[in-house]
Amino acid sequence: MNTEFHNLTVAERREEIGGDATSLTFAIPAGLETHFQWQAGQHLPLRFVVDGQEHRRCYTISNPPGAPLRITVKRVTGGVISNYVADRLAVGDTIEAQLPLGRFALKPGNMKRRTHYFFGAGSGITPLFSMINAVLLSEPHSVAHLIYGNKNAKSIIFREELGALSAAHPGRFTLRHVLSSPSVWTWSSPWRNGRVDAETIAAAITETPPVAQDVQYWICGPGEMNKSTRSALLGLDVPDNRIHLESFGGAATIDTSVEGIAATAFITLNGAAHTVSVASGQTILEAMLAAGLMPNFSCQSGVCGSCKANLKKGRVHMRAQMALDDQEVAAGGILTCQSVAETDTIAIELP
Amino acid sequence: MTRMYHNLPVEAYTSQGWFDREQRLIFSQTWRFAGLAEDVPEPGHYVSVQAGLNNIFIVMGRDHRLRAFHNICRHRGTQLIRAVGKTQKALTCPYHDWTYDLEGNLISVPDESTEYPNGVDKKCFGLKPASVDVWRGMLFVHPDPDAPSLAAWFGDVDPHLGPHKAEELVEYPEARNAYEIKANWKIVVENYIDVYHLSHLHSKTLYMYDHGKAEYGWKGPHYHFWEPPSAEYSENLEKNLPTPRVIPEPHVGAWVPMLFPGIGIGAGEDSWNLFIITPLAPDLTRIENRTKLANASQWEFQKQEWSSWGFWKGFGGAKYEGKDAMNENDPMASGDFTTEDIYACEQQQKSLTSPYFEVGPPANGESPVTRHQQAVLDFMTAQETAEN
Ligand code: FES
Ligand code: FES
Ligand SMILES: [Fe+2]
Repeated sequence: MNTEFHNLTVAERREEIGGDATSLTFAIPAGLETHFQWQAGQHLPLRFVVDGQEHRRCYTISNPPGAPLRITVKRVTGGVISNYVADRLAVGDTIEAQLPLGRFALKPGNMKRRTHYFFGAGSGITPLFSMINAVLLSEPHSVAHLIYGNKNAKSIIFREELGALSAAHPGRFTLRHVLSSPSVWTWSSPWRNGRVDAETIAAAITETPPVAQDVQYWICGPGEMNKSTRSALLGLDVPDNRIHLESFGGAATIDTSVEGIAATAFITLNGAAHTVSVASGQTILEAMLAAGLMPNFSCQSGVCGSCKANLKKGRVHMRAQMALDDQEVAAGGILTCQSVAETDTIAIELP
Repeated sequence: MTRMYHNLPVEAYTSQGWFDREQRLIFSQTWRFAGLAEDVPEPGHYVSVQAGLNNIFIVMGRDHRLRAFHNICRHRGTQLIRAVGKTQKALTCPYHDWTYDLEGNLISVPDESTEYPNGVDKKCFGLKPASVDVWRGMLFVHPDPDAPSLAAWFGDVDPHLGPHKAEELVEYPEARNAYEIKANWKIVVENYIDVYHLSHLHSKTLYMYDHGKAEYGWKGPHYHFWEPPSAEYSENLEKNLPTPRVIPEPHVGAWVPMLFPGIGIGAGEDSWNLFIITPLAPDLTRIENRTKLANASQWEFQKQEWSSWGFWKGFGGAKYEGKDAMNENDPMASGDFTTEDIYACEQQQKSLTSPYFEVGPPANGESPVTRHQQAVLDFMTAQETAEN
């Protein structure tokens, strides 16, 4: 894994939904253009230094491949970085970024003929927006349907852009808004009121059943919505391998049932061996950082996969494992940011 | 010396050997027409279709997505389902009641504990998947679950097929029929795409279109054709159309493509017709016709019929009349272009077994005929190369 950070300059910033979210477009340093390529849906691992403190974050790229590199960050109450981005980061400032990565990715094909259903909520639109654009631009025989949940009309990120897309691609893109607490007087009525739940999902599919029969389902919202959307689809007999999901704001389920015990961890990092002591309740990543090691990591919430490692000996408990699939887990893959020790000796190898 | 019929040996139209090779190399390796999308309207509905050597069925899941499987029970091969129907959640083989879910998984084996003391590893005996897709309102199946997409197969010819949105039209059930022609399937295709014969065989039946202005060509193995209405017909076209329009103005003309292999469409201003060619034997071919018309009220149809009556009352007639006709059943006196075509195909096939048969030079308007022969050859060669 390429873990090097590169300086990116903020080339443009734009307020979304009245300042509750900010889109940042970056200038890519000369010579790195071919490296900063991404697939629709992937994210950008970032390192910020705010008031002398280092912070790592992972934000989804909200533009399709080929367009300017852009992230869209929603303000979180009390969030250090989201407020820093919204209030302080200016055009011309630099931030540090690793190369784009992520498994939640839609690879368009100009001979592919697919029906894509996108289920999103809130800022979960960012990867979906990139994917929808990629389909409309680079997968000419396919169609996209977006079912997008928000609180009210004012909180719909990319509302105008999405409207323009559906006007520009009448036969290929349908847009349906679902609002949980719409205010009557602000905007024409949404497709439905309520949430993106099983009933809404079934209604959407019945209303626009697939024409192209290679059907893919893409879900991005808060953990709970992802879980319920996936089970609603499974309930309709959608095969699991057609469902792709990513959660933002933390993994779907955090299993804190195991506290974790104090342990000695034998770490192989960049080919060098280290012995690190892990306190009870401490994650392996926290222990490594406390010991002065420099392992790769980013989101620290089990979503991005940057901190992936292989467990060679012992047992750990993972609070969340969104970023790993079943095969990887079976093969000993762990997320160090989510792992606490269950045996007093463990051995871990980092790529 | 092999006797040739343009680019193909005459044998290609008469021998079982050629027929078998075509079944294997063409009809079992291409996307096959399987019906109209509305034939599988709801979850649980299914249809089966013979696609070359393969019998494939399509079933709609509760997610409204179609699944296609080879219609072969994994126990001893019995065909699982017949023709069309509806199921709830499972498909049971009639022979020993092995049961599959709509994903093709084997879910139950009767008397498993006594009949199979060691058990049956059900995971290994799921139905074999095939491909299915919907295009221009038509169902297509392909025996290979990883077949190249319909976009790759029809993408280039698609823009030449007219502005029709077949999925928005409604079938006219009275026009649905099937019949057999005693001729090789390629004779039938060649007749369909022979531009030369239009003004001759059909001199009295298809003259509302101007064959002299026809535009036609090929995209890979697929043939496309368009011709404008004749001066007489177009003078009052909107009035003269026998049924309400199926495409918006100002589009006019007849689009009559022949997609490979043997998928004919005939679409005009006011109707959309399918002409599906299926080889049954070297000298026997099945045709299936389906027609779709505008989704308009009975009243709209009535109005159009009245307004066009003046044009059609004097239109058409028999190619042979009076003492030129054999009797009142003479196809050449039918005044119906399909009857004329069937007659021509069958009369031509009869000569192919004669030792004295020798083909004459192809006319310009027959370039599609020789080109189709080449397409058949090329496709078979490519498949054979891929096999080896
Ligand atoms: S740092 Fe993102 S999954 Fe661990
Ligand atoms: S052949 Fe189908 S159950 Fe025996
Ligand atoms: Fe004809």
